[in-house]
Amino acid sequence: MLKVEALERSYETPDGLVHAVKGVSFEVPQGSFYTLLGPSGCGKTTTLRCVAGLEQPTGGRIVIGNTVVADPDNDVFVPAFRRDVGMVFQSYAIWPHMNVLENVAYPLVVRKPRPPRDEINDRAIEALRLVGMDALAKRSATKLSGGQQQRVAFARAIVRHPKLLLLDEPLSNLDAKLREQMRFELQELVARVAITTLYVTHDQSEALAMSDNVAVMSEGLIAQSGAPRSVYDRPANEFVAGFLGGANFLQATVVERNGVSGVVDVDGNAGRVSVPLPESINKGQRIELVFRPEDAPLLFAPNGDGNQVKASVARLSFQGGLTECHLKVGQTIVRSMLHPSVQASPGADAWIQLNPARCVVYAARQPGARPN
Amino acid sequence: MSQLTLSTNLQRTRARRPVKAGRRRGEIGVVGWIVIAAASLAALYFILGPLTMLVTTAFRGPQEFLPFEEGAHWTLDNLKTVYSDPALYRTIIPNTLIFTVGSVSVTFAVAFLLAWLVERTNLPWRNVVYTAVLFPLLVPGIVLSITWIFLLAPNTGWINVALRNLLYLGDTGPLNIFSMTGMIIAQGIGLVPFVFLLLSAALRSMNPSLEEASNVAGASPFKTFLRVTLPVLRPGLLAPLILATLVTLEQFETPLVIGFPARIQVFATKIFFELNPDSDLPAYGRAAAVALPFLIGGILLLFLYNYLIRRAESFVTVTGKGFRPTRFELGRWRIPAMIFVSVYALFAAILPGFVLIWASLFGYSFPSLDVLSSISFEGYIDLFNNYKFWLAVRNTFIVAGSSALIVTTIGVVLAWTILRTKLFGRSILDFVSFLSLGIPTVIAGLASMLLYLSVPFGIYGTVLVLVLAYSYRMAVATRLTRAALMQIHAELEEASSVAGGQWLTTIRKVVLPLLMPSLVASFVLLFIIGFREFTIPMILQSTDNGVLSVMMWQAFQSGKTMQAAAVGTIIVMLVIPVIFVMRRFVLARDGKD
Repeated sequence: MLKVEALERSYETPDGLVHAVKGVSFEVPQGSFYTLLGPSGCGKTTTLRCVAGLEQPTGGRIVIGNTVVADPDNDVFVPAFRRDVGMVFQSYAIWPHMNVLENVAYPLVVRKPRPPRDEINDRAIEALRLVGMDALAKRSATKLSGGQQQRVAFARAIVRHPKLLLLDEPLSNLDAKLREQMRFELQELVARVAITTLYVTHDQSEALAMSDNVAVMSEGLIAQSGAPRSVYDRPANEFVAGFLGGANFLQATVVERNGVSGVVDVDGNAGRVSVPLPESINKGQRIELVFRPEDAPLLFAPNGDGNQVKASVARLSFQGGLTECHLKVGQTIVRSMLHPSVQASPGADAWIQLNPARCVVYAARQPGARPN
Repeated sequence: MSQLTLSTNLQRTRARRPVKAGRRRGEIGVVGWIVIAAASLAALYFILGPLTMLVTTAFRGPQEFLPFEEGAHWTLDNLKTVYSDPALYRTIIPNTLIFTVGSVSVTFAVAFLLAWLVERTNLPWRNVVYTAVLFPLLVPGIVLSITWIFLLAPNTGWINVALRNLLYLGDTGPLNIFSMTGMIIAQGIGLVPFVFLLLSAALRSMNPSLEEASNVAGASPFKTFLRVTLPVLRPGLLAPLILATLVTLEQFETPLVIGFPARIQVFATKIFFELNPDSDLPAYGRAAAVALPFLIGGILLLFLYNYLIRRAESFVTVTGKGFRPTRFELGRWRIPAMIFVSVYALFAAILPGFVLIWASLFGYSFPSLDVLSSISFEGYIDLFNNYKFWLAVRNTFIVAGSSALIVTTIGVVLAWTILRTKLFGRSILDFVSFLSLGIPTVIAGLASMLLYLSVPFGIYGTVLVLVLAYSYRMAVATRLTRAALMQIHAELEEASSVAGGQWLTTIRKVVLPLLMPSLVASFVLLFIIGFREFTIPMILQSTDNGVLSVMMWQAFQSGKTMQAAAVGTIIVMLVIPVIFVMRRFVLARDGKD
């Protein structure tokens, strides 16, 4: 449905050429929800704006449906108003000189040929009903709350049933509580209209909860893409591991290799554990062992079973539904999410029970380059 | 010009945060209250003192008497004489309307196109254009008006001479600056920079997503311009339109310099000639009677302006993380756009500047190689040997500097009082200081003249009178500092109080340092306004209080062309450094490009 191939976008600035997007490729199948996730400045919004036609790519190709909408090498560029897309802007961009209904009806009013007035009205009201705003159709756009603006913006984006729906951080202007609520609402709406959707966000929980596919972006490139669960469980590199959810990093050395797994010796005399090893890593090499805080249950006595890392409790913080425990492994701090019933006192010895299936190993990188 | 501030004001009030107003009386202390009381009284005096005198004078007669002179009495004669004169309805009112509507249209067309090119398109050298447009803003209107005569006078004007040589026409014409069209063009082009500033602020503050949303919704750029850009900008366009009307309405220089030889009278010159008739005593009462509706009109326009500004603010919706607006690609319109900008610069800055310097060395003669040998520095030599010139230089700086200082100082106290205390009557202070924006300069001059002629001590004719008369422009300072003060959360002051700082200490150590950028901006603006001022010193002129602008006019009028041009050249030279000060402090364009 949407195909982006080797997309590039660079800007001339007084300080020289800036490459915002350096070769991004992905494909969104018909009806699916695709998310570009990344920190600010990673190029995700620029990618989205190129798809919308608000920015001209400097390289690569964009295909919507069967139409090539951008191909700078062949001088093809279809401007935004000739692309059949709907978009919700980060600021919502609700026109202040129109009321709610006029805002939503606009994409139909400017369409050529213009549909009959009754049809425009019916379809706009239908779109407003979908977002639960039909009662406020006559309200002035300047008198809407943030959540209401967001709904109007959504109704406006889908009113002409576009081929593609683009959402540019639509939740980032809302306060925390409303954001939670609108996230579910948006998810439900998108499912109901069943339009192919490209979503841009910097919020990992939004991305994981809503998408069929997630692409984690960093510095103008896609670092990893895939289904949310697989990206979360098997992060391809430390950037993805650190950006998507919490991650613990331990330095270790490989002491043994048996096929796809091996045994590593964790720094700080913390013990030996067996973990899966990527093919490229050899015996004797320095590695980084990564696991999630929720995959780090504690034992307060070694059970001799193996696969435990010795640590000492540094701090416990009770957070209601769970207790977060900071532990010291050698000089490194790792976090563990525990059931709130677990009690321990700072300084106590503890053993982190590692499940090899929930661990990922990377070759060690330069010190000081850790995310978070 | 005095309204320039509002462009910055418009943007700053955006981020308005609720500020906890009001504090307990005890905190401010005796000294504090004395400061507040003194500033309030001074502000009320500077604005209402002259105005009260003006209104009173309209109802006192006989007309050649000062209102409280021996023998004056209450009367309606002034109003009767003025408003039963058919010339008022047949010439003055229509002239004023044609002049105002015509010049505002010229101004708007040119200024909007320039602002749009600079703010929203990929026009090359946008920053240079921005600075170049500012240049005529700072040059006194009287200088610009006189340069128009150098360029377009029927016999000697350069453009006419050139056209005649080119087309083999007769001895005069073909163009004549001394006509309504001439007045409209001179005034219209002169006001472009001011309106340009306001419009570019409005264009800049518009959320570009609004246009993008329309684009994505399927509207072409042209449709988007008509259906989204213009309607969203409408309040932001109407407000500058009203201000431009107000400023044009009070214009005195162009009607005096160009309109008088053309025998075209408008309200502003009518008032002046009632005060300075050819062969009669000054008709104070009549002048005041003419001024009354003029004043009311000005104030009504001001309220319209205020209403529109508020509406413009209600149009501000949530903005995202400020994308650099996508600039319109000019494409093949690039060349025509650059020609347009160049032609504007030619007529608004380059030709006037050049003709001025030339005329100061060669008089009226048309530039050619033959006349180069007739160069004469007489104009400058006469000037430098004339003690009145040095007096005028001194006076210009003293008056502009001290009135700017007085108004800024009072303005900051007023702004603080209005925002941070619950002082009874603070809304009156707010209202009166805002009112000062709507007072036509001619009326400010006339009113000050009436007031200071009537006071029993001999202050009239001194430089001090000019300082006092200039100081009515309270709104410039209060509006600027108020907007800045709104950004400073009251808690910053409360933190100082809690830390043990007394009121005066808090003001000195916390408020003033934080406000410093807007105080500097306010001072620079007021200084420029004072430096350009012609109307007030013209009305209040006497032997010792001449300023440069008035001196240029007097030299020009008495036929000393070279000397007049020399004064004009010196004024321009003095103005050039101010442009850079202004760009630095007043128009710091955040994140431009």
